[in-house]
Amino acid sequence: MEKSKTPLLDQLEGGKWPSFVKDMKQAAEKSPMAKDLISQLELSYKEKIGHWKHGGIVGVKGYGGGVIGRYSDRPDLFPAVQHFHTMRVNHPTGWFYTTKALRKLCDIWDKHGSGLTNMHGSTGDAILLGMKTDQLQPCFDDLSDSGFDLGGSGSALRTPSACVGPGRCEWACIDSLDICYNLTMNYQGKMHRPMFPYKFKIKVSACPNDCVASIARSDFSIIGTWKGVIRIDQKEIDAYAASDLDIQKEVCDLCPTKCMEWDGKTLKIHDGDCNRCMHCINLMPKALRPGKEKGATILVGGKAPILEGALLSSVIVPFMKLEPPYTELKDLIDRIQDWWDEHGKSRERLGELIKRLGMRVFLRAVGLPAVPQMVKAPRSNPYVFFWPEDIKKPDEIAKEVK
Amino acid sequence: MSDDLKARITAAFKDKSKGDKKMFYIRDVVKWFPGDDRHAVQNTVQELLNEDILKYWSSGSSTYVMLAEFFPKE
Repeated sequence: MEKSKTPLLDQLEGGKWPSFVKDMKQAAEKSPMAKDLISQLELSYKEKIGHWKHGGIVGVKGYGGGVIGRYSDRPDLFPAVQHFHTMRVNHPTGWFYTTKALRKLCDIWDKHGSGLTNMHGSTGDAILLGMKTDQLQPCFDDLSDSGFDLGGSGSALRTPSACVGPGRCEWACIDSLDICYNLTMNYQGKMHRPMFPYKFKIKVSACPNDCVASIARSDFSIIGTWKGVIRIDQKEIDAYAASDLDIQKEVCDLCPTKCMEWDGKTLKIHDGDCNRCMHCINLMPKALRPGKEKGATILVGGKAPILEGALLSSVIVPFMKLEPPYTELKDLIDRIQDWWDEHGKSRERLGELIKRLGMRVFLRAVGLPAVPQMVKAPRSNPYVFFWPEDIKKPDEIAKEVK
Repeated sequence: MSDDLKARITAAFKDKSKGDKKMFYIRDVVKWFPGDDRHAVQNTVQELLNEDILKYWSSGSSTYVMLAEFFPKE
């Protein structure tokens, strides 16, 4: 039996789960780029050192992003991957493709690149891996003719992304698909012509389940929510009670704010204490539904741990009605980006800037009032949002109470 | 778009690129002109990018701007 040329990579195929090595080997049967990629990766594992040089080229004519330059530092050994650029293609909102569109995308990629893809990258884009410099423009032209556009990269607005929302989900409180598409079209300049201190991400989740994890991954999170009471269908509650579900143990006892009561027959919810964790609605979807008045909570400052540690987003607008053309939302985004653009250091994310200068400085700059919903436990810990002149003196409060 | 600002930005790039450092954050370019409006400087940089006098250079996560003449060939 012939000895394998990639013994280290072969080990990665041995596990329980599908391996990217298997995919690469399959692609290597018809793509010289994929073949050299495997060989270079094997060398990297063997020498415990990366063999890529990153950076440089940014895009195609008129664009300042969407392409990430990558070159092999051993073109003598692996000439087919001497250039191995990545192209980010803006995904359809909610990742709804027709099979025809997917085939078209793959055909274009087979024609111009290595045939290897990453569907999808953590930005949400369709990532096309491995392209020579001279193929960038022809590939973009073909993509453009087929209705595709490049996504964001570098110090720019990154491709906004959204959950499937009302397209498939009964809990959607906002039209995440329309909002995402609208913002994408509105901010084309900010996506394709980088001018920011660093990356800026917008993600839209249609309900508090937050399926795109916008709260943890985006600088500007839009999360669908509701006002008023959770709608209860008593008949369906009875049906759940008669089923295997232990409402007291599995629903009420696991409610993080303990805002539910179950007496064996009736479910009572103290909606004022609900923090929209969605646990009860997820467990009893037929019996419980979000309230009727729907909108979104706006949060800012989330990011993954690059340069500084990870940050979760903070609430800045507890409830905003979101209807086309989303003027209020866009105004807020513009004000926030302008403040960050002016005060942010290079490679400083919005959340880091807010942490450095303080939430109250941020709120004043973008013209938002500090409200209790911004604080985790407002009654016991009012935090530090307030300017000294905003804090009422005891005699003023007493006068108001009278 | 002011031709004067364009000329000043181009001159500043030439001056700052005399050393080893050729790539600059857009934010740093704005700082070179404290007396000018930030948006005016950014818009002028965009014009210079359109005219291929300046070029973007990106690491993938961060974007820099540099004089086209110094953009690496490969």
